[in-house]
Amino acid sequence: MEFINAFVVSLQSVWNDSGFAAFTLGHGIMILVGLILLYLAIVKEFEPLLLGPIAFGCILANIPETGFFGEEMNVMKAINYGIAYEIFPPLIFLGIGAMTDFSPLLARPVTLMLGAAAQIGVFVALAGAMVLGFTVHEAAAIGIIGGADGPTSIYLSTKLAPHLLGAIAVAAYSYMSLVPLIQPPVMMLLTSQKEREIQMENLRPVTRFERIVFPIVATIFISLLLPSIAALLGCLMLGNLFRESGVMDRLSDTAQNALCNMVTIFLATGTGMTMSAESFLVKETLLIIVLGLIAFIGGTAGGLILGKIMSKATGGKINPLIGSAGVSAVPMAARVSQMVGMKSKPGNYLLMHAMGPNVAGVIGTAVAAGTMLAMLK
Amino acid sequence: MHQPVTTNPFIIMLINMTVVFIVLIALMYLIKLIHFIDPTKPKEKKVETPAVVSAPAQPVETPAPVESNNEEIVAAITAAISSMGVTGVVKAIRPINRDGWKQSGRAFNMNY
Repeated sequence: MEFINAFVVSLQSVWNDSGFAAFTLGHGIMILVGLILLYLAIVKEFEPLLLGPIAFGCILANIPETGFFGEEMNVMKAINYGIAYEIFPPLIFLGIGAMTDFSPLLARPVTLMLGAAAQIGVFVALAGAMVLGFTVHEAAAIGIIGGADGPTSIYLSTKLAPHLLGAIAVAAYSYMSLVPLIQPPVMMLLTSQKEREIQMENLRPVTRFERIVFPIVATIFISLLLPSIAALLGCLMLGNLFRESGVMDRLSDTAQNALCNMVTIFLATGTGMTMSAESFLVKETLLIIVLGLIAFIGGTAGGLILGKIMSKATGGKINPLIGSAGVSAVPMAARVSQMVGMKSKPGNYLLMHAMGPNVAGVIGTAVAAGTMLAMLK
Repeated sequence: MHQPVTTNPFIIMLINMTVVFIVLIALMYLIKLIHFIDPTKPKEKKVETPAVVSAPAQPVETPAPVESNNEEIVAAITAAISSMGVTGVVKAIRPINRDGWKQSGRAFNMNY
């Protein structure tokens, strides 16, 4: 009898400590969301390197009684610190800098304007968010989705609206993976066949001197002007210096491969861990997803419109399609410009021309984030 | 967080877009300055424009002999074309002065 009693009490205790006892419908829905994101990542290959760990983090975050965010330190809590204290986004930027070739931008610096124009999407979404009742800080964090720059979105939302981080990160990365579906209709709508067929002149060669001096000068200038983004921009340019110096190959290799991959795992899993049922299953999440789409479309349109103006001003030397690449999403947006250009005229290679506004978009989004931080924080 | 200077979204948009444009225009001039002072840039030579430039593009280029003696490269290119479902004989392989494909390949794996 005593044995049965002990057995029952033990079983009861195991049940009470288990996640099943505290499992709610909200947890179930969020685990389902995680599974759908995993499906999109693995089967549909939508940004699998990011959506995969985000989805898995989402599943883990919705298992009750794990103690991930309790008093005691554990690995998930440590990962969360990396996001809360803005450690991971600059480290990702270090890798991006090491992977990015700034030569197209240096060869045709006027394309920086396209990266600036595409930031209009950020502020269209910001205005929309404020109209829908979000506070100015929340609206700024939502708007930056339009920059199509994952690390900057995470960086700004942890500073201005940490409670919206999960929804903002998921919206940003989901739309970035959907760039090939979102942008082409806007590009077709805003450009004529004749404009799409414009073949651009080859870019001039860029010297090693220019490629080395640019990241140094840009860091000093932008960091002095907007110190709040010095970590982001400094890491981007440091990574690029590793790449271009020619004497730091080992560091460049580590930054663009091992380090970037490790930080991606932490950043994406940690972002997924913010998608708990309590913070994600709210009507604001739906609004953020809609506003994110508006931001993307607005940014694409902004870049294209300035592209058209520049095309007219230069007597047809610039194909306006490269303007859409100003929304960052490196290099996906540049590839979309290339794809649409090739469809309009086979042999019309726009990829390297579009890489100029594409990397300008990364800088532009960081500058927009820095300006908003200066104004709002 | 302190009280924001303004909560009017249109003023925020105006201020931010102005700052973004000013910073990027300044960066544009910095890039031009770097190019200007670059001691390593090659001296600009006057290149005589060949008559071909003004001529309209030829619709079809006359096939030229294969310019590579490397049979492996020829075989690999032929196999790649065949795998796309195109049948035929490779008559000419000429390097073209465009690096779009190379750059496309380089960019392919660097999404973030």
